[in-house]
Amino acid sequence: MITLTDIGYAYPDAEHFALEKVDLHVEHGEILGVVGASGAGKTTLAKIIAGFIPHVDGGELTGTVVVDGADVAELSLSDAVSKVGLVIQNPFNQISGAKYTVRDEIAFGLENLGVPREEMVERVAAAADLLRISHLMDSSPYALSGGQQQLVAIASMVVLRTPVLVMDEPTSQLDPAGTRMVFDVLSALRDAGSTIVVLEHKVELLREHCDRVAVIAGETIVAVGEPREILADERMPEWGIGATRFTEAARAAAGRGVVAGGGTLPVSLDEAVAFFQEDVPA
Amino acid sequence: MASTLYMDRKSPVHRLNPVTKLVILITVIVIVFAIPFWWVAAGVVAVVIVPAAVVSRCGGRLARLGLTILLPIVVVLFIVQGLTFPGGRTALWEWGPLALTTEGLLFALGIGSRIVCLVLASILFVLTTHPGDLLSALTERGMSPKFSYIISSTLQLIPAFRDRADGILLAQQARGLAIGKGLRGRVGAMMPLLAPLVLGMFTDVEERATAMEARGFGSTARRTALTPVPDSTAQRIVRWSMPLVAAAAIVLPLVTGAL
Amino acid sequence: MSGVDLRFDDVHFAYPSGTQALRGVSLAIGAGERVAIVGQNGAGKTTLVRHLNRIFVPTSGTVTVGDRSTAGSTIAEMAALVGYVFQNPDEQIFARTVISDVMFGPKNLGCDEAESRDRALAALTTVGLAEHADAHPHQLSLSERKRVALAGVLAMRTPVLVLDEPTTGQDARGVEMISRVVAEVSAEGRTVVAITHDMDFCAEQFERVVVMTQGEVRADAAPEEVFAQREVIDAARVEPPQLMRLAAQLGWGSRPRTVDAFVDAAAGERAR
Repeated sequence: MITLTDIGYAYPDAEHFALEKVDLHVEHGEILGVVGASGAGKTTLAKIIAGFIPHVDGGELTGTVVVDGADVAELSLSDAVSKVGLVIQNPFNQISGAKYTVRDEIAFGLENLGVPREEMVERVAAAADLLRISHLMDSSPYALSGGQQQLVAIASMVVLRTPVLVMDEPTSQLDPAGTRMVFDVLSALRDAGSTIVVLEHKVELLREHCDRVAVIAGETIVAVGEPREILADERMPEWGIGATRFTEAARAAAGRGVVAGGGTLPVSLDEAVAFFQEDVPA
Repeated sequence: MASTLYMDRKSPVHRLNPVTKLVILITVIVIVFAIPFWWVAAGVVAVVIVPAAVVSRCGGRLARLGLTILLPIVVVLFIVQGLTFPGGRTALWEWGPLALTTEGLLFALGIGSRIVCLVLASILFVLTTHPGDLLSALTERGMSPKFSYIISSTLQLIPAFRDRADGILLAQQARGLAIGKGLRGRVGAMMPLLAPLVLGMFTDVEERATAMEARGFGSTARRTALTPVPDSTAQRIVRWSMPLVAAAAIVLPLVTGAL
Repeated sequence: MSGVDLRFDDVHFAYPSGTQALRGVSLAIGAGERVAIVGQNGAGKTTLVRHLNRIFVPTSGTVTVGDRSTAGSTIAEMAALVGYVFQNPDEQIFARTVISDVMFGPKNLGCDEAESRDRALAALTTVGLAEHADAHPHQLSLSERKRVALAGVLAMRTPVLVLDEPTTGQDARGVEMISRVVAEVSAEGRTVVAITHDMDFCAEQFERVVVMTQGEVRADAAPEEVFAQREVIDAARVEPPQLMRLAAQLGWGSRPRTVDAFVDAAAGERAR
């Protein structure tokens, strides 16, 4: 569904590359998590997949980005955005401000594209259902919590039926409740046919919800693979990414000889329980 | 919603298409200014505005708002014109060199009645018309969607803008900025308050513009609307006849020499 | 430089709109303590800490910082005692260079140019941005700007430091830096009060946790004790730190706050 080949990009007037020699392939219907330290290039990658680089940000983009069979850099911006929906970290700036109810807000994109009314009604209801915000349809978007606003922003993208959804740190400004709201809908979105790329710091949640995880460090993708293997990798600190305390505790316990160690370290709570129970019978 | 005066009621007046109400409002204004007798304005208030206010159940609010805005204006108008009207001869009451004249009071009545009619009609329009509906209706009739967007989003973003301004003030005070001292007309002292506000606005506008592009805002396709604004043939007839009424109001007095 | 004592005496606070945000909060925080305030959004955490620098004054009750009641001062006057780091750095940063922004606080407190510059450089070194001193703030990323804002308050060298969600949006290195700052400030005897949603950070860096729900303090104790109070934690909708959850699932009696403490506990369990 998404193939990046030998991508290189430098922002206009920048002294060095933001990303270099990036190759990535995302399968149809996959949820790919992307981790990396702040400033490593997550937002740059998100914008490249969504076509905002180079169309909005300018600069020099080398390599090819193919989404759903089309070369994104060759398309116009409006065609590019019909392939990839982008959700950013600030929920407030994604709300149009032109609409007074959540229902109208979600429909905004469809109105712009001239979609017939009966179809709009149906698509808006389906998107709200999927995001579990049907009970908020008549509320003002500005009366909602941050988490709810993000769900409205995601619904506003989902309603456009783009094959790919890219979410750039969608929970970074949210509290734990809001964060859970957003992560909880990822599988439903995937089951409804979206391919999702979610760029985040929250390792425990990425382990739970992603099919694969990629790591950005040193201006390129340094690893891609199965979530548990990647997120328990001993190079995580070097990459500037915080492993879960479960992983750290397991590594430290193995290091001090308290447990036998060996095998992949745990990332989630359940994996940690299994890990410590094997070696430390209660 | 805090930033509009709209009162949500289910009344026939509320259900009228916003453009219909706008056309009626403009026609009313033209009539009372084209036929400047005080009893014309008073008549319009009695026959058009009061019944509409009652039917729309916004009478109380209209009265309160109207009084707040109009009372000072009308009182000053009567006093000033009563005392200083150049054509004033018939004195009703004298106090030294000042005289309150009938002509002056009548003149004030003429102007005042028109102002009252204009203000009450406008307030009633705002109380019964949701800004979103008005903009939708205008966009349907060819107003630029970008213009409509600018107006709606500005209205809704004002509270957020205010909150941010408050936040900036707090953050700088918490770093020791003593207000009162800094506002001695020095632009430099305003920088800690203005710079974050202006920069924040630019960043937001940029981000929001990109987000709106991603939702097809720049599309050239013909827009559709999810919640259409109700309209009817009867209203269309009314809207087409209003300009004729207004034209008649302008022409009639000239023709009959009543002025 | 040493800290000052903080006291909340039966503080009630209602917003002008009528919403009751604090219902009879009494707290005493000693100089040099590190206290974390946790709870759901809306529980009153921000309202509470904003009484410390006099953004709010109690509707009834008193808030005392050192030997003065906040009611008798202005926000700018309290700034000399209580440094407050707000969540959004972009509501604070205004100068053309990083260093001149960081110098704003010290200058307002009466430091001359040289002293302000020294303090600013020291603060920037603490947050790891010394090499960006002459950069334009908007050339930096959001998390770097958050550090500039933090430096701006650190440079004021206040006896009390209040942090409003310091780790939100930060990556691992950012959290490490914040943790270092908390440790350094506290080692100087200064008081640190932080609102946080990150329970791991909370358990590791703070020896006292205050749990709030609906304007009231429901628990106020060391992390080990607080996170053991199931009903309170559930009512506050707070999830215990990862290591404590793990220890609980493994059926261990202890509630370790750090990785080392956890491994010690594991060794202990193994020895049985």
